[in-house]
Amino acid sequence: MDSNPPRRSLLGLAAATGALAALPACTATAAPRRPAASAVPAGDTRHTLWWRAPADGTSMIEQGLPVGNGRLGALAGNDPGRELLLITDATMWTGGLNDTLDADGQFPYGRDDFGSFTLLARLTVELSGHDLSAVSDYRRTLDLARGVVSCSYTRSGVTYRRQIFASRPDDVIVLHFSQSGGGRHTGTVVLEGTHGEGEGVSFGAAFPGGLRYGAAVTAHGSGGRVRVDGTRIAFTDCRDLTVVVSGGTNYKPDAATRYRDPSLDPAHLARTKVRAAAGHLAATLLRTHVADHLDLFEQFDLTLGASTDGQRSLDTWERIRARARDGAPDPELEAAYLQFGRYLTLAGSRGSLPLGLQGLWLDGNDPDWMGDYHTDINLQMNYWLADRAGLPQCFDALTDYCLAQLPSWADLTRRLFDDPRNRYRNSTGKNAGWTVAISTNPHGGNGWWWHPAGNAWLCATLWEHYEYRPSRAYLERIYPLLKGACEFWEARLLTTTPPGETREVLIADSDWSPEHGPLDAKGITYAQELVWALFGQYGTAAAELRRDTGYAETIAGLRERLYLPRVSPKTGRLQEWMSPDDLGETTHRHLSPLVGLFPGDRIRPDGSTPRDVLDGATALLAARGMNSFGWANAWRGACWARLKDAGKAYQLLGNNLRPSTGGTNGTAFNLFDIYEVERGRGIFQIDANLGTPTAMIEMLVQSRPGHVELLPALPGAWADRGSVRGAGVRGGFVLDLSWRHGRPVEATVRSVGGRATTVSYAGTTRGIRLAPGGSVTLRDLAP
Amino acid sequence: MRSSSYSALPARALRVLAVLALAAGAVTALPGPAGAGTDRSATAGTAAARPATAGTAPAAPLAAKPYMGWSSWSMQSSKYPGLNPDGGYSWLTEANVLKQADALAARLKRYGYEYVNIDAGWWRDKAWKPGFDRHGRQQADPVRFPRGMKAVADHVHARGLKAGIYLPVGLEKEAYGDGKVPILDAEGCTTADIVYGDLRTTNGWDSAYKLDFSDPCAQKYVDSQARMFADWGYDFLKLDGVGPGSGKSGDRYDNVADVAAWNKAIAATGRPIHLELSWSLDIGRVADWRKHSQGWRIDTDVECYCNTLVSWENSVDDRWDDAPGWTRHAGPGGWNDLDSLDVGNGGMDGLTKAERQSYATLWAIAKSPLYTGDDLTRLDAYGLSLLTNREVIAVNQGAAPPARPVTPSDPQQVWASRNPDGSRTVALFNLADRPAAVTAHWALLGLTGKAAVRDLWNHENLGTHTDRITQALPAHGSRLFTVTPRGAALTTTGHEAESAANTLSGNASPADCSACSGGRKVGNLYLGGKLTFHKVVVDRPGTYQVKVAYVSGDPRAVEVSANGGGATSHRFPSTGDWGTAETVSVPVTLRAGANTITFDSGSGYAPDIDRIDVPTSS
Repeated sequence: MDSNPPRRSLLGLAAATGALAALPACTATAAPRRPAASAVPAGDTRHTLWWRAPADGTSMIEQGLPVGNGRLGALAGNDPGRELLLITDATMWTGGLNDTLDADGQFPYGRDDFGSFTLLARLTVELSGHDLSAVSDYRRTLDLARGVVSCSYTRSGVTYRRQIFASRPDDVIVLHFSQSGGGRHTGTVVLEGTHGEGEGVSFGAAFPGGLRYGAAVTAHGSGGRVRVDGTRIAFTDCRDLTVVVSGGTNYKPDAATRYRDPSLDPAHLARTKVRAAAGHLAATLLRTHVADHLDLFEQFDLTLGASTDGQRSLDTWERIRARARDGAPDPELEAAYLQFGRYLTLAGSRGSLPLGLQGLWLDGNDPDWMGDYHTDINLQMNYWLADRAGLPQCFDALTDYCLAQLPSWADLTRRLFDDPRNRYRNSTGKNAGWTVAISTNPHGGNGWWWHPAGNAWLCATLWEHYEYRPSRAYLERIYPLLKGACEFWEARLLTTTPPGETREVLIADSDWSPEHGPLDAKGITYAQELVWALFGQYGTAAAELRRDTGYAETIAGLRERLYLPRVSPKTGRLQEWMSPDDLGETTHRHLSPLVGLFPGDRIRPDGSTPRDVLDGATALLAARGMNSFGWANAWRGACWARLKDAGKAYQLLGNNLRPSTGGTNGTAFNLFDIYEVERGRGIFQIDANLGTPTAMIEMLVQSRPGHVELLPALPGAWADRGSVRGAGVRGGFVLDLSWRHGRPVEATVRSVGGRATTVSYAGTTRGIRLAPGGSVTLRDLAP
Repeated sequence: MRSSSYSALPARALRVLAVLALAAGAVTALPGPAGAGTDRSATAGTAAARPATAGTAPAAPLAAKPYMGWSSWSMQSSKYPGLNPDGGYSWLTEANVLKQADALAARLKRYGYEYVNIDAGWWRDKAWKPGFDRHGRQQADPVRFPRGMKAVADHVHARGLKAGIYLPVGLEKEAYGDGKVPILDAEGCTTADIVYGDLRTTNGWDSAYKLDFSDPCAQKYVDSQARMFADWGYDFLKLDGVGPGSGKSGDRYDNVADVAAWNKAIAATGRPIHLELSWSLDIGRVADWRKHSQGWRIDTDVECYCNTLVSWENSVDDRWDDAPGWTRHAGPGGWNDLDSLDVGNGGMDGLTKAERQSYATLWAIAKSPLYTGDDLTRLDAYGLSLLTNREVIAVNQGAAPPARPVTPSDPQQVWASRNPDGSRTVALFNLADRPAAVTAHWALLGLTGKAAVRDLWNHENLGTHTDRITQALPAHGSRLFTVTPRGAALTTTGHEAESAANTLSGNASPADCSACSGGRKVGNLYLGGKLTFHKVVVDRPGTYQVKVAYVSGDPRAVEVSANGGGATSHRFPSTGDWGTAETVSVPVTLRAGANTITFDSGSGYAPDIDRIDVPTSS
């Protein structure tokens, strides 16, 4: 067989992007839906995080508060005298296609070649006389439901208020400064680039890789004077002040145009956007934004029980510290932490590129690991939450990304994967389909080492979205990804007979189980599990779409012959490699060999899984330990929830809620999860902020097509009373559930495409059938 | 520990002639500091009984309040561009000093600033070579001070201000002149007679021979120097390099006799001359410093010897740790000197606005002398507002004792003192590198319910606050309030550490303590030593501000926890010695009913615990 994929297949991959929905990068948007003039609903204290201190300009990643419209984001510092916004655009990436290999057959991984996610701009609003030392009653809030950061304080009897939000309908960030009591605002607005552009009311520039970018700001006030003063905006004696900023790049999610829109002038577009938005009252912009944000936010709700008055009297950071110090559960804080994960998803993943290692938020241009897309857990984990927590629309960014990258990924695989220097090339001599490296960028490029199983890992995540929201159109979109991944593995699998066995099996070629142990191990559990899942998903997809019947049979045949991991007779643990020996770090952060336990379904404690495999998986999970990095704890928590160990799952939540001090693993002041890269240096990684809430939901409801399990791992701290509304369940349903004293009171299942499933609690199972859109409410669930 | 560059100076002896003089000592007593309990019966050398200098009004007692003024050393010691163009310390000239005096008179005098103090180098040329007169006394460098030192003092006096001058302690080596230099007005005395035969050196730089006061000639040498300053009309002397202190200890560096001699010599001149001691004086000898002087530097130089005058980390911020142990020793007649207050020009000072305000706040509430080292001709608007805030100056100059921390020395701290009218001066500090909220619970002040809050820096009434006030502070920021109680006094339940009801573990053991409540305390809390109070009963769950009476000769940390829960480490400020008890309050979360509260030394050394007082409501 030719080592290149058949031409027909390549054409098929390319054609897939034709069906891709237009992705607005920084493109002109349709006229916003403006709700009728009415008061913006007051914020619910359950969804309002608050603090008593602003951020330090040098600690923004731990203390800045995030806003975002899914594409355009910012961290806000909220110092009374000096508002600071670190502004990002999801597509603001250096680098390019990066389609060469280093001497070892792997990809370069630098900020110029592979590229890095970077800041778009920095906005400063100086307010003279508003030094923090001179104001009183300072308070700062993040309203998760409305998507508004605000702060207030008093100075000489005047109360000053500030609201900051990133509007998706208007595609701008708005800062509104107001007061009551006869106060005035005087100061300057400074917009500056972070790549040497200097300051200016608008600017435009381009990276060496060709990506153009730009930003613009405008301001208007009442009762005073606002004028452009050289490169800044000066305002004097304004009763209130509105500052509008926008910006973006000419990124286009289309391999055919090399991911650029040459006709787009980002600086010009940014000026147009801020001018258009500034034509509306700040109150109108706010109302428009809140309506848009609230619609999605309210698709889900959650209560986990009541906190004490003492806990409620504390600000968010004090509460985090008190929870760790006193060891007492704080159910409202824990629910708010979950909602914060939803907020980050909503603010960071709509209509543009997906959430990378840091989501949409940065405090500099040198994020660790480039703030990139890590395909060996982190990118996948970022999208575990969206469907479970009632934000299926936010998942689209990942699908759109994979589809836009596919032609390039396929091309790079075809041209470079069989490079003789690549230690992971197929020893079969064949090469087909597509895969990725451990890191990917938005330019169609790979970075760092080849990651053969990355394709199956991505497909598993895309497939889960299909299970949550079954849709033929969606299936048609992802089908080329599934099929291309199958073709890759069809070319890659090797035949072998394991020692002591007689049956020939198929195993993955040399690979590295992320990110420890031998670099060249065949048949690693990670790959075997993911390929087994992929082949199953493909079979279902082909049958559903009635396509490629013959090829589907081929894949089904390969699946039957796939080797599945054994339990080590030496350690009693599920083997990570085809060896009874533990060849890596026992407490390593990754749970790669447990991908069949979570998020997969192959290993289940319901009698369907051979006892030794279940015990081996449990032993492996236990050996990995309870104290790791945030995302690793989140994965552990989800796994323990699947094993119905509520105590361990809840303990891992607590471990991630520990306050981060001096860069330690844990939760920062602004609730960002901090990953201790080296002693004393912590960085933000968003995966734990999304994975931990995922594990929390897995404690309340678990699902797979045809099966919904209620309260599988409800911890004592939440048992007294609670509810969840709008949780996605696989099979195509949405669940509302309430419980008391640890037992379900009422469960309403609504179909969003699913037709039949079973609902189970503590061994009692009820079957339900629904037409799409229909719902049923179940009571008397407890035996 | 750092010291001024004085140590790097070349030592060279000069020959001088000696004349003998008789010393006359007028000795009188001053009242001790309010509530300080220090023995002042032998206090000497203050101005109360000294004749007023001709032409001036009768002098107030020296150092009845912390003095206010300006000092030259910050600018001399800085590498700030343009200050010292002719080499290190070259800033010090008559022209420069007089400009500062004029600026002080014009801008700050009306706020109480009066001293213009010339620091080291007035008798040294720009190569730092010293000059002495025929009697081994320092003489003005003719380039720096072409008209001599008296002319400077006259100019300062003409502006209605007071003049200060400087000397290192001991006989400077260069003044020794082979021992043949005659002492003024001291027949038969030469420099050989006033030092030890082995020419042992003394002071913080070992730049002088130690004076041997067993020979009366030594006193006469000091008398001759004091007479010279009095003749010139100086009102203030900074005696530097004094030990024990100045980085030195041991007999050779024990300059208590020098200080006593100076006190006596000044008294003999009949001129009120304020005697200020420097630097990092040994707190163990504070009774001597109080007895013989009007102020003592508790710490090393505040200057950074860098491109600005000072820097936050080196060593402004040390003062929050170092001041508490000294607090009770300050009072009328003698004050804890925190060194120059360089807050007048942000760029030159090298500090943020928040740091400058905190710096001024601590100096004010600790009742340190308020003397700036800034260039008074270049004060910025913010600096001027800090130096001339009358409400803050009133805290420093008023009748209340200096403030002490009422919380542990954690990054967020509260300091307080009680004013004669029952109101409290309360300072909030955030010493962390990032903004943080700081709360002053009224319980820390022994108060409950409502209290009115006045913001002194911002001249603003913040209204009535119940139980506490919380303010967001910038990194290294502060607030300064007057809190006027409108509620009832706090009621507490006391628990003695030595009570048999408590559990001790590790090395922890009870010990006698005359300063302690009940005459006993629990000590030996180190390396796992632990003290647990039992049956701490409260009616309602909540976080209580538990007042801890403790003894700790140095700052020490202890881990405090309740009911076996998570512990919080708190660093308790020094009480100055091992015979003094002080209090701070720590937040402890208690449940309704009986609780345990544990003080655990962990892996370190914890303070001795005297007792705890638990509020009856949170």
